[in-house]
Amino acid sequence: MRYYTYFPGCSSSDGGAKAYNWSALAVARALEVELIELEDWNCCGSTPYTSVDELASFCTSARNLALAEKRGLDLVTPCSACYVILSRTNSSLKEHPELRAKVDEALAAGGLEYHRMVRVRHLLDVLANDIGYDEIASRVKRDLRGLKVAPYYGCQVVRPGPSFDHPEFPQSLDRLIESLGAEATPFPLKARCCGGSLIISEEDLALELIHKLLDSASSNGAECIVTVCPLCQTSLDLYQGRVNKKFKSKFNIPVLFFTQLIGVAFGIEDKVLGLENCIVSAEKTLAKYGGR
Amino acid sequence: MERRIGVYVCHCGTNISGRVDAEKVAEFARDLDSVAVARDYKYMCSDPGQNLIKEDIKELGLNRVVVASCSPLMHEPTFRRACQDAGLNPYLFEMANIREHCSWVHEDGGMATEKAKALISAAVRRVYYQEPLEAKEAPVNPNVLVVGGGIAGIQAALEIADSEHQVYLVEREPSIGGYMAKFDKTFPTLDCAACILTPKMTTVGQHPYIQLMSYSEVEDVSGYVGNFKVRVKRKARYVLEDKCTGCAECTKVCPVALDSEFDEGLSKRKAIYIPFPQAVPCKSVIDKRGYPPCRVACPAGVNAQGYIALISQGKFREALEVMRRTMPFAGVCGRVCNHPCETDCERGRIDEPMSIRALKRFIADYELKVGREKATPVELTKEDKVAVIGSGPSGLACAYDLIRKGYPVTVFEALPMAGGLLHYGIPEYRLPKKVLDNEIDYIKELGVEIKTNTPVRDLGQMFEQGYRAIFIGTGAGVSQKMGIPGEESNGVIHALDFLKQMNSKGKVSLGDRVAVIGGGNAAVDSARAALRLGAKEVAIVYRRSQAEMPAWATEVHEAEREGVQIHFLAVPVRVLSQDGRLTGIECIRMELGEPDDSGRRRPIPVKGSEFALDVDNVIIAIGQAVDRAGLAEELTYTGWGTLSVDPGTLETSISGVFAGGDIVAGPADVIGAIAAGKEAAESIDRYLSGTDLRQGRPNQITRVKDVVKEGVQQQARAVMPLLDLKRREGSFVEVELGFDEKTAIDEAKRCLGCAACCECLECVKVCEAEAIDHEMQDETVEVDVGSIIIATGFQQFDPSVIYQYGYGRYDNVVAGLQFERMSNASGPTGGEILLTDGRRPQSVAILHCVGSRDENYHKYCSRVCCMYSLKYSHLIREKIPNAEIYQLYIDLRCAGPGYEEFYNRLQEEGVNFIRGRAAEVTDLAETPEEKGRLTVLCEDTLIGRQRRIPVDMVILSCALEPRADAEELAKLFKVSRRADGFFMEKHPKLDPVATMTDGIFVVGCCQSPKDIPDTVAQASAAAARALAMISKGRVEIEAAIAVVDEELCSGCKTCGPLCPYGAISFDEEKKVSVINEALCKGCGTCAAACPSGAITARHFTTEQIMAEIEGILV
Repeated sequence: MRYYTYFPGCSSSDGGAKAYNWSALAVARALEVELIELEDWNCCGSTPYTSVDELASFCTSARNLALAEKRGLDLVTPCSACYVILSRTNSSLKEHPELRAKVDEALAAGGLEYHRMVRVRHLLDVLANDIGYDEIASRVKRDLRGLKVAPYYGCQVVRPGPSFDHPEFPQSLDRLIESLGAEATPFPLKARCCGGSLIISEEDLALELIHKLLDSASSNGAECIVTVCPLCQTSLDLYQGRVNKKFKSKFNIPVLFFTQLIGVAFGIEDKVLGLENCIVSAEKTLAKYGGR
Repeated sequence: MERRIGVYVCHCGTNISGRVDAEKVAEFARDLDSVAVARDYKYMCSDPGQNLIKEDIKELGLNRVVVASCSPLMHEPTFRRACQDAGLNPYLFEMANIREHCSWVHEDGGMATEKAKALISAAVRRVYYQEPLEAKEAPVNPNVLVVGGGIAGIQAALEIADSEHQVYLVEREPSIGGYMAKFDKTFPTLDCAACILTPKMTTVGQHPYIQLMSYSEVEDVSGYVGNFKVRVKRKARYVLEDKCTGCAECTKVCPVALDSEFDEGLSKRKAIYIPFPQAVPCKSVIDKRGYPPCRVACPAGVNAQGYIALISQGKFREALEVMRRTMPFAGVCGRVCNHPCETDCERGRIDEPMSIRALKRFIADYELKVGREKATPVELTKEDKVAVIGSGPSGLACAYDLIRKGYPVTVFEALPMAGGLLHYGIPEYRLPKKVLDNEIDYIKELGVEIKTNTPVRDLGQMFEQGYRAIFIGTGAGVSQKMGIPGEESNGVIHALDFLKQMNSKGKVSLGDRVAVIGGGNAAVDSARAALRLGAKEVAIVYRRSQAEMPAWATEVHEAEREGVQIHFLAVPVRVLSQDGRLTGIECIRMELGEPDDSGRRRPIPVKGSEFALDVDNVIIAIGQAVDRAGLAEELTYTGWGTLSVDPGTLETSISGVFAGGDIVAGPADVIGAIAAGKEAAESIDRYLSGTDLRQGRPNQITRVKDVVKEGVQQQARAVMPLLDLKRREGSFVEVELGFDEKTAIDEAKRCLGCAACCECLECVKVCEAEAIDHEMQDETVEVDVGSIIIATGFQQFDPSVIYQYGYGRYDNVVAGLQFERMSNASGPTGGEILLTDGRRPQSVAILHCVGSRDENYHKYCSRVCCMYSLKYSHLIREKIPNAEIYQLYIDLRCAGPGYEEFYNRLQEEGVNFIRGRAAEVTDLAETPEEKGRLTVLCEDTLIGRQRRIPVDMVILSCALEPRADAEELAKLFKVSRRADGFFMEKHPKLDPVATMTDGIFVVGCCQSPKDIPDTVAQASAAAARALAMISKGRVEIEAAIAVVDEELCSGCKTCGPLCPYGAISFDEEKKVSVINEALCKGCGTCAAACPSGAITARHFTTEQIMAEIEGILV
């Protein structure tokens, strides 16, 4: 059994990406990984909030780190945004003593202190590097051979700065998909932006970005896309219809969380994995492989 | 004697006094013990400043001096000299650094002043204990070593040699010239690089005062300034430089083509090559990288890469010749070898291994087809006769090697035909007799006498008949028994007997139904032969599963296709017979249990699973054993029943008698037997010539390490065509049909040529000068020099690590040096700028700062890229006048004579300058204009917009970086490196070519990226420095060194190995350590380590250091 402190993040716990949380927990259980949810966690600090009030954002973020430090385990999150924000808080506090002083003061007011000892990890990193591809492959029960999957990393999980994978040409998700027996298709845009929250303020621009991604994935033969980020999943899945309307395209590509695909390969029930939460149904695509 | 110390505090303009209160500090110093005078002055290093010291020494009788100013690196020599001028020993001077350590690094003036006081207090206490020391001198060896034969090394070497001093110029590559030789034009004058460089290269080659050591590397440097000893490894060129005329005939016949380093991989060169036409020396060199994996894997060491390379050239006869240099059985092994070579073939890591066995067979078949000239008998140069007993593969291989060494050899064979199991054990459809006979005939034609029908019963008799050595290779020819009831029944026949009868008589009478027991090749051979002999139903019974079956998978597959039934996991328990006639066998089913010693899972009988097979004959093929009958009684055997021999020499318990093959190894493969025969031949030769049997065995061979696989297109291996199933019925016609010429050539071309040179020796045949020596070894030479100039240059940054630029992924993304070669008239395209499809690019983007000025790679600016990028623009414009050219730059740095003017000229030529580092190069088109082209994404910071620029070609202006082995070189020459990895000069402003190690200089791009004029200027400067040393003739040696108190030294030898300069030796007579004054640098490591306190570091005594520390603390 391996133990981690778990930070589900708002999208996965209460937002539109509940299935991510469910499938992450189910897959972790199957892999003998104990994800212990961080007690009394709060917002990670959030990408947009940083632009509005940087200090407040850092303090919010640091509170989570201070709480996690008490247990001493790596802090794992399935959300790319949480991963980036929490990591950045960690490095900013190390690099900027003035900021550190202010944040320490805020934490002290809440009876907390943070010594910058927590290692922030993305769930993809943990599965790929701590558990390992061989271990994952050994648990596969359903044969997904032939299923063509576009590995979509999004812009955040390997950026900025040194991370667990190449910032321009990441490989870990590709190898993970292959360890499940499925085929990772070439996907040149795999580390590009999905539009993110621009869908609210700059819809045309966001839809154009989503269109490019869907187009690249489908023209490379992908039958489904796998993501490691709640926002990416939402962008590609929820707005696929809008893209079709705007660009007169006919995309019908299911977009799964990587933990859902692992769960499918492990033979975990669809319901537990929240597969029915996908807007573009994955049922027909998955039915073609591994017999059901 | 009373100490009278003078203290001088420097203001250094405002550098010190801006923060440190120099007057107060001087005042403080005045009150310190033994201080006779303390002054402060604006510039202590100025003449009036120095005069202050000199006058005080004379007038106030000072006998110790402290100056508090800058770093001793700057002015210690200045003040020491001042002291000396005034008659004070320079080692009675001490310096306190209150600039770098105080004023420059502290913001608080009060604290800085306090720290300055502390440092001065320390210096005063320290100087109190300092002792006068005398510096010594050593003569300077007038020879100079120049390392690196690029333009920097060439220039330095010529300057020194022209003044008639001996220069050793060491160059790692086969030719001097460096990068400059690759360039097309030089900026900004657009001189042809070769035209200005090659005259200098030629001069170097012919200069009476330059000894050029190309293809060599410095291995070790010892000694000290003025007297270095340098060990140089001269890598084997495999071509004798004094004989080679540079005619390049050898390169024409060489079958191995490799990427040309000189053309940056844009063209091919041969394994034997002259790097470029103007190379100096213009001598061939052979690129050998060790043994190819196929050759290493082959027990007999057959040079597969050699004959495959020749097959790819259509040189089939020559290929067979290569084969026969090792062993005579191309046709046999081409059919029945279990080819370990293919298992290890590096091509298999890309797609599928080479069809090495089939190619071997092809060259043998080719000879049979076109006919073979009778072999010329070998001249017998030896008198000692050798007897070989047994004419199987091991015996014949042994005889073959011995006859070629000049020994008279006689082979004794008990049976009527030679060949052993090759003749009697393998069916005709797998190994036709004419193939085997051809190869045996060849051996006979060389002079080997084969006496058939001649069994040897007595080894002693052989010696009596005059044979001086004997090889026993009689094999393992007895079938093993199963040990089950009924095994002796009529109709039960053992595989070897069956095959032997078939191979000698052509037929064996069998019933309709035959069962074969066993899973090896003999079982499958028997089953397939039984079918051909007319049996209607043939079944193999094997006790394990298919995965464990030792027979070749292809053979098993063909057997099944021909109709052989296989019962896996079954074993016979009794032979059933009725009225003396065999009726069948009773078998039991097995299941697999735990793995046994062989690693295969052990079969275990399943209770109650017995079943019967109705058959008329049973052929037992479960293994073979050694027949001891007839061999000498003194021979010893192993527990397995095989002959016991020395594994290294194959000598038996009787001196002069050797053995190998199945009789020693048990039933095994043909190639193993051949290898044993060869090994025994080597032993016999040593035995008869009276040399040591063991020395140098087994042969040390190095497998080639890294085999380049990038850019190799996937291509499946050639498939062996097979005889139609119908035509196999009742026929012993060969099943595998062999390759035709085209298939063989195409297949041979798949070979990766792992070892580069394949040792086919075609070059030797055409070299009229007899200059080629494939056996050449690396050599080490030692030279004595007084100074060393390091000019090892740079390497181009590998742009493939910047994934987003697509280098190595997209065609037509080229690195700077590649463009340089492409644009060069002597380059791979004859000077034409071409896309990979042969078109001329109509638009080109040149990306600056690739790897430079980038936090991820190199932070520094590579200095020359702006200018060479501009040069590229001009060359493109010149050759393709209407091409669109884009320069994507961050800043344009065109500082130098004529450089800015060149930039202006380019602007006038209509080049598009875009300020902004390129973000990405992509082939994903978003507009029709981008389709099929490369699109450069960037932010144009002048117009504040993101841009997509579609182009045909992208040139990456790559950074210059330290060579990969710069760190090892730095250790070798004891020079330091800056954080950027380049070698560090002694002072960045005032001593730019010297290093911290006296007598060693750094010039050119190994010191920092720079252009040709700066490089040449540095080279001349270093030459001048070296000449200055020579002209002075002696060097001063540091007086602050370690000394051993012989009385105290206990001779423990702790110090010796610790000394980084090798200065400590041990006097065996006195049993004390001795320090060589010339080598010691005074680092103090030995003094610190000496357990008995016998070593003192002069000028850094414990007393002095403790006083200094006290000074700071009080």
